[in-house]
Amino acid sequence: MAVMPVLQIRRSISNGGKTYVGTIRRLILKNFKRFKALELEFDPELNILVGGNEAGKSSVLQALDIALSASRSKVEAIGIEALFNVDCIAAFLRGSRKVAELPELLVEVYFDGLAGHHELDGRNNSKGIDHLGIKMVCKPVDEYTKQIQAILAEKHENFPFEYYGVHFLTFTDEAVFPYKKPLGHLLIDSSLINNEYAMREYTRSMYAAHATVAQRNLHAFEYRKAKAKFKDDTFKVMNDALDSYKFDVRTSPKASIETDIIITEDDIPVDSKGKGRQCFIKTEFALRNREHALNVLLLEEPENHLSHVHMRMLIERIRASVKKQLFVATHSSFITTRLNLKKVIILSEENPSRPANLKDLSQGTAEFFMKAPDNNVLELALCKKAILVEGDAEFILVEKLYRLSAPGRTLDADGVHVISVDGTSFKRYLELARLLGIKVAVIRDNDHDHATNCVANYAGHVSPSIQVFADTDNARHTFEVCIYQDNKATCEALFAAGRKSLGVEEYMLKNKTDAAFALLQHDGAALVAPEYIQQAVAWIRE
Amino acid sequence: MDKRVMFAVAGSGKTSRLVAALDETRRFLLVTYTDANHHNLRTKVIERFGYLPPNIALYTYFRFLHSFCYRPFLRSKMDTRGVMFRLPPTFPRYGLTDDRRYMSSDRRLYANRLAKFIEQSGLIDAVVARMEKYFDVFFVDEVQDFAGHDFNFLMAISAARMNMTFVGDFYQHTFDTSRDGNVNASLHNDYRTYKERFKRAKLEVDTDSLKKSRRCSKSVCDFITQRIGIEIEAHDDRPSVVRFEDDAAAVAAIYDDPGTVKLFYDEHHKYGCFSQNWGASKGIDRYQDVCVVLNPGSVKAWHGGGFRGINAKTRNKLYVACSRARGNLTFIPESLLKAYKRS
Repeated sequence: MAVMPVLQIRRSISNGGKTYVGTIRRLILKNFKRFKALELEFDPELNILVGGNEAGKSSVLQALDIALSASRSKVEAIGIEALFNVDCIAAFLRGSRKVAELPELLVEVYFDGLAGHHELDGRNNSKGIDHLGIKMVCKPVDEYTKQIQAILAEKHENFPFEYYGVHFLTFTDEAVFPYKKPLGHLLIDSSLINNEYAMREYTRSMYAAHATVAQRNLHAFEYRKAKAKFKDDTFKVMNDALDSYKFDVRTSPKASIETDIIITEDDIPVDSKGKGRQCFIKTEFALRNREHALNVLLLEEPENHLSHVHMRMLIERIRASVKKQLFVATHSSFITTRLNLKKVIILSEENPSRPANLKDLSQGTAEFFMKAPDNNVLELALCKKAILVEGDAEFILVEKLYRLSAPGRTLDADGVHVISVDGTSFKRYLELARLLGIKVAVIRDNDHDHATNCVANYAGHVSPSIQVFADTDNARHTFEVCIYQDNKATCEALFAAGRKSLGVEEYMLKNKTDAAFALLQHDGAALVAPEYIQQAVAWIRE
Repeated sequence: MDKRVMFAVAGSGKTSRLVAALDETRRFLLVTYTDANHHNLRTKVIERFGYLPPNIALYTYFRFLHSFCYRPFLRSKMDTRGVMFRLPPTFPRYGLTDDRRYMSSDRRLYANRLAKFIEQSGLIDAVVARMEKYFDVFFVDEVQDFAGHDFNFLMAISAARMNMTFVGDFYQHTFDTSRDGNVNASLHNDYRTYKERFKRAKLEVDTDSLKKSRRCSKSVCDFITQRIGIEIEAHDDRPSVVRFEDDAAAVAAIYDDPGTVKLFYDEHHKYGCFSQNWGASKGIDRYQDVCVVLNPGSVKAWHGGGFRGINAKTRNKLYVACSRARGNLTFIPESLLKAYKRS
């Protein structure tokens, strides 16, 4: 289909030799999916969205995708009822059911850059400030309010979504149409990798990003010409034998260059490759676009289907990308920490409207996690309460010791996560915990010097929500010593048999994980948790 | 900062002058009053550059007022539904701070009060800042048609720190769109005090640069100066024929001539010939010979002392109509066209 060149607006304008490219500064949602209200501020280069399964990462990407597409048909395909916040609809139906109080859905996207676009610059936004931006508003159509009133009076539980209109407007309250969208963007959702429609949309977007309007028109024209020539030459003999009815090749909007193009790698169609390779290629190709026709890339769980090697390569590509603003929704601690922990936005399941971000994390800590071996940063970041332990032995036994200290309770039931941390990096995790307001009990060894190792060492880190627990007796210098001394009979019974040169305590110190595992498998009723662990459990449960 | 208003006579090349001053680098805000002139300017800009350069924003005044000055700031808050050109009812009278003064009950803004509404909402500074942010040069064509609140608004935004040129022809003021009660009611009564208003707003008034008509012949200019009483000089001594025709056969021939436009006081659409109304012919530069159709009152004026004494608005429209002529100017009595008139 030909695109009218006059309808294209320039996405960036040159001014005094400098090119301004637009970025997204802020997103505001009202009554969108799980968000009654949400305000997110974005980094101009990279934004990593993390959160639990129902925290709304995908919803944020979807809101950006819908608003930037300015496409009513996209919204209609999803359905307004699927976008509306369920709670606000239920509250309305339970409440007064007045037409004037019908809920509205709002998605506002605030831009930076884009100098010269006065058609975007206005104060018709929920903040009432002069800014460039676009918004999607779903609200009841005024002309239908009478019918809506009649429906609401009937007292049934159906909400009149059919009487809602969808509007895409700039902050000057001017209509935005898909061909006039201010930023080029692309959503790559690797969970849809086998979806034909998604692949077609992707191919079409990439084609549009790589060919100018004039080129595209030429391609379409030449393609149609080639089909005509094919018919005239190749079908000639067959058609000449026919009189009034003849064969031809379809040329229509449903069979044009845009429907027939595919992307290949080494002459092999990308969509016939494995899922993992497809995921990788799609993202990699989009990142490679140097024309800057794509300003914003939305990546939904890029780790899906990717091997570790591919994931590393993808991360390198993302880090090397320039002049594109990236939004990555991920479950992967690996992607999160390797990209940059400071660019993380955390969406919470319990408090969807109160996101947290890690931009205030110290550079040192962000770099530590970038370099550190595989870690559990996201697990810590996404929990409310955590116990940090020093080694594998503690990690193996902590669940059991927890149940001993708090009879009838379990870690999962109390929402407490246990994370095993290399003893020297406790403070890195504590910085993260402090920033996110997570309650953390550190359980560690005193290593023969409680005052230095366990008190002075954490002077700047302990707070009402962060406490360090260790045995105060310097003679009880490790976890194994404490376990042994508090459970001598049990340990002797378990480990004494066959010991010749080593005593039981020494054996436990030299074979920490084996000993811990044996203790775990042993009937635990006889075990006693060391005092400091009991204190830690009591405190974390408060 | 160069700020000037240039008063010109008909056919002296006002619009061409503005178009010649455009370039493809500075950001121009170009505002005209009428739709006809917007079309005219657009054509001329495309003629000059071969396309419409993206650095040139071309607006009719009311579109500028609504979409650039009002909508970005107030549309959502006021929940209005666009602009309406029907005049507000005289009663009830709402106070200056009452929104209902500025919009109908179905929330359409009254065009003639929109400028006042923006001022009343304390947005002049914001509008000026927005103009300065997005444009380097501000051009206004047909400045004589700004009246009522719109004139005050134009003077207020002329405070913007940018180069600006307004052009117009005092005597081509034919529109009443901007009127609101007695606001600036006497603005167009006197040319001298009119010019004063621009000087007070710190605009330089230039009445020399564009005082000669390139379009009209010496004969047409002399006719306008002597019989209509509006001074206009011809750029050259090219003569043409100015006459009154009331021979039925000759009038019929003129009526049927597709090369001569027939300009009517009003209701030109009721005649099936090449025609236009006097007022609406403003800005049109493509006619060669022009035939001006006179109603009985004007025929009387033709035979008597001329058109100096007639109602000012009618006189201005007649001036607009006559000054369309590049070649000959013929007057015919409307009474001879009765047979052609459709109801």
